[in-house]
Amino acid sequence: MPLIKVNDLVKEYTVIKKGKGLKGALKSLLHKEKEILRAVNHISFSIQHGEIVGYIGPNGAGKSTTVKMLSGILSPTSGEILIDGLSPQKDRKRVVQNLGVVFGQRSQLNWDLRLGESFELLKRIYRIDDRQYQENLAMMDAILEIHKFIHTPVRQLSLGQRMRGDLAAAMLHSPQVLFLDEPTIGLDVDGKQAIRKFVKEINRLKQTTVILTTHDLGDIQELCSRLIIISEGTIVEDGSLSDLIDRIAPYRILHVELYEEAELPIHPLAEKIRQDGTAAVYRFDKKKVTAAQLIEDLSCFCKMKDFRLEEARIEDIIRAAYHKKEKLEGV
Amino acid sequence: MRPYLYIAKVRMLSALAYRFDVLSSIVIQCLAVIASCFFWIAAYGNQQAALGVTRDQMLTYTVMSSTLACLLTMNVENRIAASVQKGSVALDLLKPVNIFGIYLWEDIGSVAIAFLQNAVPLLLIGALFIVAPVPASAAHFLLFILSAAFSYMINWLIAALFGMWSFRIVRIFPLLCMKGHMIRLLSGSVIPLWFFPQWLQTVLSFLPFRYIYQLPLSVYIGILSPRETAAQMGIQFIWILLLGCLFFEIKKGVTRHLLVQGG
Ligand SMILES: Nc1ncnc2c1ncn2[C@@H]1O[C@H](COP(=O)(O)OP(=O)(O)O)[C@@H](O)[C@H]1O
Ligand SMILES: [Mg+2]
Repeated sequence: MPLIKVNDLVKEYTVIKKGKGLKGALKSLLHKEKEILRAVNHISFSIQHGEIVGYIGPNGAGKSTTVKMLSGILSPTSGEILIDGLSPQKDRKRVVQNLGVVFGQRSQLNWDLRLGESFELLKRIYRIDDRQYQENLAMMDAILEIHKFIHTPVRQLSLGQRMRGDLAAAMLHSPQVLFLDEPTIGLDVDGKQAIRKFVKEINRLKQTTVILTTHDLGDIQELCSRLIIISEGTIVEDGSLSDLIDRIAPYRILHVELYEEAELPIHPLAEKIRQDGTAAVYRFDKKKVTAAQLIEDLSCFCKMKDFRLEEARIEDIIRAAYHKKEKLEGV
Repeated sequence: MRPYLYIAKVRMLSALAYRFDVLSSIVIQCLAVIASCFFWIAAYGNQQAALGVTRDQMLTYTVMSSTLACLLTMNVENRIAASVQKGSVALDLLKPVNIFGIYLWEDIGSVAIAFLQNAVPLLLIGALFIVAPVPASAAHFLLFILSAAFSYMINWLIAALFGMWSFRIVRIFPLLCMKGHMIRLLSGSVIPLWFFPQWLQTVLSFLPFRYIYQLPLSVYIGILSPRETAAQMGIQFIWILLLGCLFFEIKKGVTRHLLVQGG
């Protein structure tokens, strides 16, 4: 049975349309024009225990809206969510006991307390027993090195420290599921690395299931065994990054440079795109032929001075997926 | 219960950390209470009593009013407003705990500290320089404690309700300021309402404010008959119930709004 099951989920917001200019402003004072904005449009997916899923999409795609519904702080317009068999809407208090949620842009730590006091408060809120609390705190310290600033008031923490504090706070009650909404936003390289290490470690040590939204390619490549890509409220892609690359950008490009001008042959498994004097360009399907094979075959015909392989950039592939393109052009 | 007691404790500890703030606030309060006592001494002149209240009773009333004022300070309204403005209100729903319980106990922690740090010095200064603020009797004192606890609840609920206004109004702070002045004027904390014109007193008897200051203070100085005391404390209690129901209703509405419209 999947740990998280989402079925035909829809969320519509009612937004008040603001009129343009003075006339519009006066008009909207008298009569508020309402508009329905569908942020999440019939999405379905299931997530198994222990997966790390990247939930990605352009700004405004509906990622945060989905995460909020999954965590029970937003009601869906229609559709169903089950987390470990329970609905976060109907059983909010029970579901959140099993949930860690971190929003990169909004800290949940108590700003008036020291970080350690915030943890102590959470210990009491979630009724965590002493042993479990100490164990989890030690583990979080080993991964995130929070002892350096555990006595600092939360309001004085740097963004990176605060983020690490938020992550540790989310794991104190040993939740099975962790939602991270843009956890690396605004962090420097070290900060990002700390967060990635954290996700990998809790997944390895505690088999925590993680859903994270991010715009960071490093996060996606390093962490996510599976990507769910959402665009304009609908899921456009659900699978591994390598499958996505294979499908959207199955080709690689080989640039060859020769010592002297010679007509290069047409290879049965690679397409010769062009040749200008000593420089030639081939495009090949990486599933049909390897680069090494291709180079070996070509060297039978001429003396090669240099070569260079070009691959589609992950960024371009993901952008193509956002725009629902079947194939990446250019490469 | 445990998270609530913990938050009260942390609140007390962190209040103790701000020593300098405390010192300056004590000085200001003492100056204020001495000034208003001199005002009453001048106003009474050679008269021993005015409208059935003796000069010493009036001075006790004034000292106790300042003491009560430092115990009735609370932070819940600013808490709610800040969390609405930061956009983190919805996130409070993520915790398996009642966030208003946390706010209430935070405030109760602050009261305990304010008692030690502000109320006690104020009473001492009052006793030394003005008048020993003694209650009419031990029974009056106990009733005063009960009535002051009710006052606290009324005041807290009004503050929480005003705080929840920040869901509708963007600039809430001027409103909170106005609320503070309104309570100060209409509750009899500065000038007892018996000096107000009759029609205004009638109007004010339908509002909760006089039950915040004037009632417990009148009980303390012993100017109410047992029947009046019982009747007014009954009304005080009804105000708690009314405001409490209103609070829960509005809280339900706000939660529904958050769940549907997002925070
Ligand atoms: N509380 C809200 N009220 C009205 N519209 C909202 C609200 N929250 C989000 N939206 C709109 O819903 C869409 C999806 O937003 P969001 O889920 O935050 O996207 P993402 O997290 O993918 O950037 C956006 O068009 C956004 O403007
Ligand atoms: Mg978002």
